[in-house]
Amino acid sequence: MDDFEAFLDDGGIVEADDDMPDAYREAVFRFIELHANSELMGGLTEREWIPRTPGLRHKMAVLAKTQDEIGHGHLLYMVAADLGCKTRPDMLEDLFAGNSRFHNVFHYRAKTWGDQVAIAFLVDAAALATQQAVFKNCSYGPYKRILRRIIAEEGFHMRFGEERMLRIAEGTDIQRAMFQQSIDDWWWPALQLFGPDSKPDDKLLRWHIKSERNEVLRDRWVQKFVPLLHGYGFTIPDPGLAFDQEADRWMVGSIDWEPLKRTLRQGGPDSARRISEAAANWADTRWVRDALERVSRRREAA
Amino acid sequence: MRIYEVFLKRKGKQEFRHAGSLEAADDELALVLARESYVRRAEGDSIWLVDRDHLVVGDEEFVAPNADKPHRHNDGGRVAERRQRIHEENS
Ligand SMILES: [Fe+2]
Ligand SMILES: [Fe+2]
Repeated sequence: MDDFEAFLDDGGIVEADDDMPDAYREAVFRFIELHANSELMGGLTEREWIPRTPGLRHKMAVLAKTQDEIGHGHLLYMVAADLGCKTRPDMLEDLFAGNSRFHNVFHYRAKTWGDQVAIAFLVDAAALATQQAVFKNCSYGPYKRILRRIIAEEGFHMRFGEERMLRIAEGTDIQRAMFQQSIDDWWWPALQLFGPDSKPDDKLLRWHIKSERNEVLRDRWVQKFVPLLHGYGFTIPDPGLAFDQEADRWMVGSIDWEPLKRTLRQGGPDSARRISEAAANWADTRWVRDALERVSRRREAA
Repeated sequence: MRIYEVFLKRKGKQEFRHAGSLEAADDELALVLARESYVRRAEGDSIWLVDRDHLVVGDEEFVAPNADKPHRHNDGGRVAERRQRIHEENS
């Protein structure tokens, strides 16, 4: 392990076929599986909004985003499966049986178009920041290469989110009130996406999977979005939020991590519905997989 | 089902480069999936797909003997030395 860690410290890149310590393989696999599950669950949520998205241009963009997210899931499941810890069908079955984790933000329900805009703007920005921090210095080659394209596509999602947010910011009082409610509902889940402060001995940092500590990424996001939202005349649902003149930074109040922990146990406000919808969708599309299997068998026989 | 390795090329720019992999039932469906997963926003102008089972692999052990062939290299050290000596003798 010492040699391996020295190799990683030296900027070494690990490929799927290379020898690697089991603990590293496990850790990388679990991280990518969580990411893949989150992309898929996010894509399924996005899909619910295709018919409800206002305006043809934005409707088409949401259609494209849905396809992007499902695609991200697919590419990540391929990368995860190559690690040999679990097959792709096993990962999906575990997810739909509620035995697998996905990001906290997908355990909440997007009730209004405002929520959907807040997700694209605040949550996608948070997800993008964490992905960029992994991409920057990721020791696992196949993941790093797939992240490059995922990050490029997330950039489009975030820009659409910002465009929609600006339309609402300039909109009617009703639209602004709707979006304020969305900020009130989504601020904390988005902030908690970064997770609690990284432990001093975090293996993901030690092995150059992550390149930055959770609290650093979270703070950077806070410094960006607090002034932005204030600038458009919205408020942030944190009574402890204050500007520290000396440090020249926004300081958040104390963070209640209980809601995040609940989502890890599939106990979020929308966890049960999300998982059962995803499972029903998996069952409903069985005929497609069966048809593909038949094509595949015919090809093998030919 | 088959696993395919995906290679993309940008016209007039790069050689074919590995982009990732995908799983599909046959070549035709694999091409559609490759286009829809890997070439959504002009990441390339053409695609190569290679069935993973058809890859001929030379592993590190196979390649290793070629790491020990100093006679195939010339770092220019001796040339510099000789040049220097002649230069000194003539000056
Ligand atoms: Fe994504
Ligand atoms: Fe996204």
